Amino acid sequence: MGFSPETKKIPFSGGTGEALARIIAEKNNPRVDVLFGGPVETHIAGIKEGVFEPYKPPAYGEIAPRFKDPQGYWVGIADDPLVFMSNNKFLKEKGLKPPASWNDLLNPAYKGMIQMADARTSGTAVTRIFSILEVNGRDENKGFDYMKKLRQNVQVYTKSGGGGTIPVGLAQAGAGIFFIVDALKTRQEGYDVAISFPKEGIGTSVEAIALLKGAKNPAVGKKLIDWSSSPAMQNFYAQYKINFIPAHPTVKTEASLAEIIKGAKIFPIDEAWAGQNRKRIVARWIKEVLP
Amino acid sequence: MPDAVAALNPSDRLRRMFRDPLLLSILIILWALLALFIVYPLASLLIRTFTDEGRFSLAGVFGILADPMQRQALWNSLLLGTLVGLCGTALGFLFAYTAVRTNLSKGWVFFLDAAVILPLISPPFTTAIAMIFSFGPRGLITYDLLGLTSVSVYGLPSTLFSETITFFPIAYLTLKAILAGIDPTVEDMAFSLGSSRWRVFRTVTLPLTVPGIANAFLLLFAASLADFATPLILAGNSFPILPTQAYLQITGMFDLKGGAVLSFVLLVPAFAVFLLQRFWVSRKYYVTITGKAGAKTEIKSVRPWMRHLLLAVCLLISVSILYFYVLLFYASIVKAFGADFTITWKHYHVVFTEGLQAIRDTLIIAGIGMPLGGIYSVVMGYVVCKKDFVSRRTMEIVSMINYSLPGTIVGIAYLLVFNDPPLMLAGTAVIIIACYVFRYGPTGIRTTVAILQQIDPSIEEGSSSLGASSGTTFRRITLPLILPAFFAGLGVVFIRSMTAISATIFLISINWTLITVRILEKMTELELGVAAAFSILVVVIVFAVIGAISLFLRLFRQPGAPDMANILGG
Repeated sequence: MGFSPETKKIPFSGGTGEALARIIAEKNNPRVDVLFGGPVETHIAGIKEGVFEPYKPPAYGEIAPRFKDPQGYWVGIADDPLVFMSNNKFLKEKGLKPPASWNDLLNPAYKGMIQMADARTSGTAVTRIFSILEVNGRDENKGFDYMKKLRQNVQVYTKSGGGGTIPVGLAQAGAGIFFIVDALKTRQEGYDVAISFPKEGIGTSVEAIALLKGAKNPAVGKKLIDWSSSPAMQNFYAQYKINFIPAHPTVKTEASLAEIIKGAKIFPIDEAWAGQNRKRIVARWIKEVLP
Repeated sequence: MPDAVAALNPSDRLRRMFRDPLLLSILIILWALLALFIVYPLASLLIRTFTDEGRFSLAGVFGILADPMQRQALWNSLLLGTLVGLCGTALGFLFAYTAVRTNLSKGWVFFLDAAVILPLISPPFTTAIAMIFSFGPRGLITYDLLGLTSVSVYGLPSTLFSETITFFPIAYLTLKAILAGIDPTVEDMAFSLGSSRWRVFRTVTLPLTVPGIANAFLLLFAASLADFATPLILAGNSFPILPTQAYLQITGMFDLKGGAVLSFVLLVPAFAVFLLQRFWVSRKYYVTITGKAGAKTEIKSVRPWMRHLLLAVCLLISVSILYFYVLLFYASIVKAFGADFTITWKHYHVVFTEGLQAIRDTLIIAGIGMPLGGIYSVVMGYVVCKKDFVSRRTMEIVSMINYSLPGTIVGIAYLLVFNDPPLMLAGTAVIIIACYVFRYGPTGIRTTVAILQQIDPSIEEGSSSLGASSGTTFRRITLPLILPAFFAGLGVVFIRSMTAISATIFLISINWTLITVRILEKMTELELGVAAAFSILVVVIVFAVIGAISLFLRLFRQPGAPDMANILGG
């Protein structure tokens, strides 16, 4: 097969939200066959818009229920937890330890030094917001109170999920909340950053793939889905240092990645709950937290 | 505007049109193109804005205006545009005055020109990234040099600074031409009547440039209103502005209608500026060159110490512009800027392997767009300037619309109409090329008109009275004369194909992508070095092409033909 992990390139800059926006706009004349990658919230939002076609690849029966849509609208290809990433130099200067609790980020030492994604464009941000609601026992008022407090320390909300990683790497920002895949990539690029997890727990999101309704080359699209959901592709994660946790049960998580997430409290976002409330919660976030 | 032909009454004009089948068919083609690529998309945008499920409705517009954040964004956009207009014009005036009124040597003028032109031909984000590197909480200047911590680089001041640096060259080029046109003898007269230098500046030089200043201000206001890249990086969250809000509405909230409404709100001030410029400022140019210029006299506008002061200020600013580019180049040749300063060529390796498709696509699109843009501008400019026909003025104004509107609006409008049958052009190269030709062709059109106005109509009349058809006259007489405008038209289309992003970000697809979009992508994919390498590549290519075109322009130079610098300014 001619696919390499690099095939992931979708011709959109930044957030998966943008990719979905294009797919919805092009609904009557789809230009692509699959939406490859991106947190599953995006795919679930797409189901509502009627842009996907159910398809169950051969691996469908083997993967855990968490990693697949009951109707087969999407299948998971990886698990991608959120992490706290902070700049070691910044921490040292301020005499801080890597944040180990959500409340650590409220420390005034971080004032104006935290970057994270904007919920209007980024699936990372949506996963983050639902993580915060979850650790607050889904008490929305409590969760939003926390986010408003956190806002005091936020330097900027970036357009894409990984937008803040280089600033943190450069210590333009002190810390941020990112998907582990982006955080570890920053470290691999040579930036001196610390990865940590909050003791209250943090959410993880499924990276998914879905076939488009009315796709021009459904056969090719299906082949790509077959391959992506198979161990053949997911074995590449370790080989190419893509820091995803494989969705297929027979593929082992790469050793150094497994070491990092060992002992961390990571919980899956309840996709049904998130899907139902996404629009309302994001609207509330824009109104109350963003300004 | 040009009334090179005597006005006839409408019925005579119609009759004449039908007597000239070539002209008639050209007019039909031009109108069809304008209708398809300018009127139709814009009309769809308006319809989308003012209808709700098929009915006329103002709910969309009021909905936006009721939202305090969007109102804030509108206000911010206007504020930013005004401030950029004021600061950029002031800076542009300072540079232009120094360059042409202080007897600088050729070498200095060349240096100023070169420094000033860099921001104009750079891919988007260039200054914005350099700003963050330099003035962020760990910026090279704020932190490493001044030792400041927790400085915020996001917001109005940095966006204003970055946009001023990016756009003031437009003011410089506009004002330079005007200041250079003021005959020193006019100032001499005032001097000989006993005026001080300051008084001459205040009562002679400045008043003569007022229309140019107004024009520069409006150009900068419009440029800032249309700018999407700088605020996206630098404005932060507490300073929302309209183009980025429209972009977020569409790409983040999947809300095409909301985006359409927001771009409509943006369209109102943009169009107001266009009309002001078109019908007010453009009529107020003073010409001090009459027939033969008087005997060459030395410019005595400023005293030597003043001259040194002006030059020092300009040099300081030029050096800071160059500093931004050195920084960019440095970021492109080190492993990880800010963390690992080992020299490496790996980013360029990525550019020429993985990035090859974007380079090829961009060059193909620019290569096809170039001649089309050149031909379009020459034909359109010729027709609206030299031919008398029904709808001439309307045609001229319509041809300028896409040029005067912010790219976000044009991109969204194209996305709205070319995505569904009957014209499913989205995803093809055609839509990107069309966007460039109709958005940047107008610069060539204006150049054509400027040149044609200086050609004595009797030359063409002579040709037709000797029996040549209008086609032959055009080919044998007019075409050679307007060749420079052709190069201007294709040059601008090429440069913008390499550097523009605001409209085309909505139009790229899996089959056709552009270098500028790859730069944005690489930035979000955390590969800053590759983004920097791409940017350097663009600057190099554009510089080379500008050099080639300037050479052509010099070879075919006609009286009244602008040089490359003026073309960029428009």
